[in-house]
Amino acid sequence: MSYIDVLREAEDQVTPGASACQGCGGELILRTVLQIAGKNTILGVPPGCMAGAGSVGWNFNSGVRIPVTIPLLDNCASLFTGISQMYQRKGREDVNAVIVAGDGATADCGFQSLSGAAERNEKILYVCYDNEGYMNTGYQRSSTTTKGSRTSTTPLGSVINGKVQHQKYVPLILSMHGLEYCATASPSDMKDFVEKVQKGLAASKKGFAYLHVFSPCPTGWGYASDQCIAVARKAVKSNMFPLWEKDENGYKINKVIKDPMPIREFVQGISKFKKLTDEQIDSIQQMVDTRYAELERLAGKE
Amino acid sequence: MAERAYITPIADEDLYVLDTASWRVYRPVMDKSKCVECGMCMTYCPVRAIIGTDDKKYKITYDYCKGCGICAAECPRKAIEMVLEGGAE
Amino acid sequence: MGVIKVLTGNYSASEGAALCRPDLIAAYPITPQSSVVEYLAGKVHNGVLDSNLVQVESEHSAMSVVEGAAYAGGRVFTATSAQGLALMYEPYFRMATLRLPMVMAIATREMTSPETIWSGQQDAMSVRDAGWIQMFCDDNQEITDMVIQAYKIAEDEGVLIPVNVCYDGFYSSHLTTGVDLPLQEEVDAFLPPVHFNHATLDPDHPISLDPMTPGNLLMKYRRSHLEAMKRVPEVVDRIDKEFGDKFGRYYGGMISEYRIEDAEIVIITVGGMTGAGMDAVDAARENGIKAGLVKLRFTRPFPAARVAKALEGKKAFAVIDRSVCFGWSCGPMYMETKASLADAADQYCHFSAIGGLGGADISTDMIYSTIQKLEDNKETKTELETQWYITE
Repeated sequence: MSYIDVLREAEDQVTPGASACQGCGGELILRTVLQIAGKNTILGVPPGCMAGAGSVGWNFNSGVRIPVTIPLLDNCASLFTGISQMYQRKGREDVNAVIVAGDGATADCGFQSLSGAAERNEKILYVCYDNEGYMNTGYQRSSTTTKGSRTSTTPLGSVINGKVQHQKYVPLILSMHGLEYCATASPSDMKDFVEKVQKGLAASKKGFAYLHVFSPCPTGWGYASDQCIAVARKAVKSNMFPLWEKDENGYKINKVIKDPMPIREFVQGISKFKKLTDEQIDSIQQMVDTRYAELERLAGKE
Repeated sequence: MAERAYITPIADEDLYVLDTASWRVYRPVMDKSKCVECGMCMTYCPVRAIIGTDDKKYKITYDYCKGCGICAAECPRKAIEMVLEGGAE
Repeated sequence: MGVIKVLTGNYSASEGAALCRPDLIAAYPITPQSSVVEYLAGKVHNGVLDSNLVQVESEHSAMSVVEGAAYAGGRVFTATSAQGLALMYEPYFRMATLRLPMVMAIATREMTSPETIWSGQQDAMSVRDAGWIQMFCDDNQEITDMVIQAYKIAEDEGVLIPVNVCYDGFYSSHLTTGVDLPLQEEVDAFLPPVHFNHATLDPDHPISLDPMTPGNLLMKYRRSHLEAMKRVPEVVDRIDKEFGDKFGRYYGGMISEYRIEDAEIVIITVGGMTGAGMDAVDAARENGIKAGLVKLRFTRPFPAARVAKALEGKKAFAVIDRSVCFGWSCGPMYMETKASLADAADQYCHFSAIGGLGGADISTDMIYSTIQKLEDNKETKTELETQWYITE
């Protein structure tokens, strides 16, 4: 079945009216993952945009059509370790244990429990929608925020211009945990994304599967709501967000960009990058090039 | 669903549904003569407001469409136009 | 009848837990608790115990993993101390407020700072308002028996509140005594399989667990939790009797009493200091002082009615705490004992005694000095300064 047919046929598991912003990358990721995971799934959505958008529900109403809970910001992977292990114990290996968490719950305060569960190779599919900050609380910096970004806690001041540090590259760190499957994906490359969710779900029957998905945020980053996919596409084309995976055969770059777009072009039109200095742009470019070279080396390219 | 003892109500028949269509300023309108049924609009719609129809075509539904404009921006044939709500089509 | 084994307090907790056939155990080390989960790991790895064992990377995850297993309807166990308990506070509070029954042993320990790893009860006392039932043991037999009883209390459908079985780090956790271990089939007959489904995540019956909840509904949950806490004493009494009838050991329910029938002076103890307290009472009796002792077996819910009744007609009391209550310049159990007497406290001479912090000993002599002080002032009906068991 082609990925388009998969998305055509699969039932949407999320409430049709969710309060995610217009053009939200996270909403697209959440719906897509759950369409593929289907009814036989237990879902965890920690505090963050997707919980804030109502996926866990309100009062006497649920936000999704499947069992769901809101883990603590920092315990998604350990809470779901318990759920997953109990289902294995009951002989219900068919049940998917899926987490859809933002970068704060993943890369920052949830990192310890994530690392623990990945190292233990718990049977969970963990999807991080990385919008590079704490968007639900008003766009504060996280460890995955790109250098130079304007955020609420890294404002553009007269002394310090945006975020000082480069982003932490979580997917590569996770890939070193001896887990079952690890991949990056982008909503701009839907075929690749859908296949990776399918592969991740299958891998989660054997062990820990981690998907790191680029999640553009029109409200926090500052671009028109219809540009979500275009921004994601540019991130892939500039190697700002390279698409790769690691499975039992090792690392593989899924989309090799012949002539990568310069970072200077990627940051155009995104207002969190509006005041980047030439020095900051060069620094991001250098980080991107170094990171990509490292990925190429891991994927076995000379 | 009624309150339960201890804690935790809720089942899937009682979804929490917001009227997100009321947010819409621009409405996506599809020009069927230009549409080649590639499905890109459906795959990229964050709300899943664009659905496949039985005859392998695609249809925009307006009950929850927030009017983000992604479908119009991504349509390779420029078959979708964003039209001001309440204005003349 | 059971099998007599020589066990440390920690192993007594492990044996009690194993007899309850937990579905899942989270293991993470911290002094002085570590050997509880080590012992259970040994049982699992040797095929003696059929539990899922998860060697987590922190106490925060220890509580989270068992919480997740409870979301899938499992019976779970873990153990901790001090900093570990502090680290797990987030999921700890949630376990109780989701009304998920479980048992966690706490080998109690002093809280840092200053840096310390030794005994004290500040850890458990600091979280006494996090919604759990808390009880303290003072010997190894009681630890095994109470872990078993605690599951039955926690899982009672009128309760559904998790239980901490606390005992003093090192003094109880590391000292060995003979323990009469019930047989597996006896425990199976006493403790039915776990069943609760108010908070179960199951694709066949999808629910949202913990949606955003408005204040008025949240208050109903809190009220229901408090009402369940009020039912605990009668459930504890019923289970104490049931356990006693089956295994021959009765503990007295929420409190236990020693030589108080004709006593004028009462000392109130928590946990492992009770043995020294009983010796001090005996010594005082030999010297003609009419002393008696009340052991607080449960601290949450606080056995206010039982304490007030035990003190009725007495002249003086002191509560010995192995922790402090910073806001009241006394020990926390003293504060709560006084609260349970309300205005009637004026009818007594009373004071708070604090000792045994950071692993320091509470000796019979120290407790005797408390009894002597009460005896000397028993007609005064006044509150005296807090007594500190500090040796200069």
